[in-house]
Amino acid sequence: MRRIVSHIGLIFFSAVVLLPILWVLRTSLVPEHLSYSSQILPELTLDNYVALFTTKHFGNNYLNSILVAVGSVIVAMPLACTTGYAFARFRTSGRAGRFSVLATQMLPPVALALPTFMFYRTVGLTNSLPGLMLVYAALNLPFLTWILMGFFESVPSDLEGAAMTDGATAWGAFWRIVLPVAAPGIAAAAVLGFILSWNEFLFALILGGPRTATVPVALASLQTSNGVEIAKVSAGVSLAILPLMIASRFIQRYLVQGLSFGSVK
Amino acid sequence: MASIRLQTVSKAYGSDLYGVKDVDLTIEDGEFICFLGPSGCGKSTTLRMIAGLEDVTDGAIWIGDKDMTRAAPRDRNVAVVFQSYALYPHMSVRQNMEFGLKMRGVSLAQRNDRIDTVSEILGLGPYLDRKPAALSGGQRQRVALGRAMVREPDVFLMDEPLSNLDAKLRAEMRLELIKLHRRLGRTTIFVTHDQVEAMTMGDRICIMRDGHLVQVGKPLEVYANPVDTFVAQFLASPAMNLLDARLEKGLQDEEVVATALGHFPLSADQVSAYDAARGRKLLLGLRPEDIHEADAPGRVAFKAEIVAVEALGTENIVVFNVAGQEFTARLGRHFIPAIGSTVPLYGDPRQMHLFDAETTRAYPRPSSGPVSNKED
Repeated sequence: MRRIVSHIGLIFFSAVVLLPILWVLRTSLVPEHLSYSSQILPELTLDNYVALFTTKHFGNNYLNSILVAVGSVIVAMPLACTTGYAFARFRTSGRAGRFSVLATQMLPPVALALPTFMFYRTVGLTNSLPGLMLVYAALNLPFLTWILMGFFESVPSDLEGAAMTDGATAWGAFWRIVLPVAAPGIAAAAVLGFILSWNEFLFALILGGPRTATVPVALASLQTSNGVEIAKVSAGVSLAILPLMIASRFIQRYLVQGLSFGSVK
Repeated sequence: MASIRLQTVSKAYGSDLYGVKDVDLTIEDGEFICFLGPSGCGKSTTLRMIAGLEDVTDGAIWIGDKDMTRAAPRDRNVAVVFQSYALYPHMSVRQNMEFGLKMRGVSLAQRNDRIDTVSEILGLGPYLDRKPAALSGGQRQRVALGRAMVREPDVFLMDEPLSNLDAKLRAEMRLELIKLHRRLGRTTIFVTHDQVEAMTMGDRICIMRDGHLVQVGKPLEVYANPVDTFVAQFLASPAMNLLDARLEKGLQDEEVVATALGHFPLSADQVSAYDAARGRKLLLGLRPEDIHEADAPGRVAFKAEIVAVEALGTENIVVFNVAGQEFTARLGRHFIPAIGSTVPLYGDPRQMHLFDAETTRAYPRPSSGPVSNKED
């Protein structure tokens, strides 16, 4: 009896979370004029998806998003790894210093957007993909550093001691031992960085242009003065969710895995 | 192969907080030396300084004929076996052992050769392709040892390597390490807080306390002539009994040590040896094995109220009470007094130790000669 009750509860809350997403998927698969109908599946069609790619250049937007998100992760991760490791191991600058890593995260993003825009305009980085990659890398760096700090702290420092007496330099110990051991954490942080960049809207809107519009910007542009093209928005959102679903599978797998599996005791 | 020389080595954290202070020690080539002390006494820190894993604040460390005080760990040709084993979790047993050899540019053929030899000695053959996570504690311990052995280092540094093993395995590994040391003949420093390990394994033991080196010597010498009450109590389990004492004249004007257990008579050589103790507040030290259930000429009798008996099969550890103070005796296995009963026990005055109550320093025992607290 208790199991039934708890299952009913779980089903209810799952529905609360899942139904909006399922409804988006449903709306993306029915013709535009039936979007707001109360029927669950009046007619099935892929027209919205086709229209998105043929009339709205969604393919370009998707590619932009992938390039920018992957690029920002590639730029940010080496920096976040070395910085996080330094903070984790060398007790540099104390607690206050560690917290200051997160200082920029405490500002509302819009406070940073305007100065960044002025700067980007001066150096000519507006409306360019590398410009977006850089700004995402910069925005995510503190957060990624913070996460990695925790992962590196959980790697026993004896491992580096062992590596260094075995003949490795400090850098060698980091590269050959610490990084592979912390790989699950690094992977999780990279996926998180990808998700943050993938979803970012404000900077993409302000710093980008038509050529560099990412998925969130493209979706926003479907809310026109003639109304919201809800079917295409739904199709776009469904596609935008896809990489995140794959990514979160990865995160789960890596985060659950222990870090120092079998190195000690 | 190398000797090790520590010259007034200190490790400070901040301006006046010392982890290790002014340690002077020479370790001979091929010697097996144990650093013994309670946790936080600086023994591991000293070991890590020798390995190069901790900076030396003051003093110098020589390995062989080279000043290695500021050398990087990899330039010292030492191998460390960590308490945590510190096996590389993402590498197989073979790769763990191979890592140090690769780092030093040893050829593939030689690497395989050495790994085969060492894994044969340690019985690691069947596990070479396993990851550390798939090994038992004892096997991991062997891999950690093997990783150090394949390197053929000048010096083995072992930081409580047996403390994570169960009692039986620990005893086995203790013997095996001694055999290995005989076979390899490498200078070995073995850090432990277990006095049995230190007593049984070391050519010499080095007792540390609060960052200071308190006493260095052969195990039995240190056991027989502890320099102070700390060493006396730390080096054995159960610990040495200590009781307030004073040098006095006995009934026939002979010299005695007056204690709660009675008057311990002094022999002629003891009288001259303990001359300096006259008039001082003293502590008399009597090891549990120097208290007996049977009388013999010269022994001092006292009435003991039995508080607890730990029957160990080979012997009985008996806790008893005299004049409100508890003492411990190590008695024969057939002597099992009833708890609460009062029985006569006998102390052996020839085996007693005398310490100054204020300084806790020992008065050198007769025939033992002076005991130095530092090696030159």
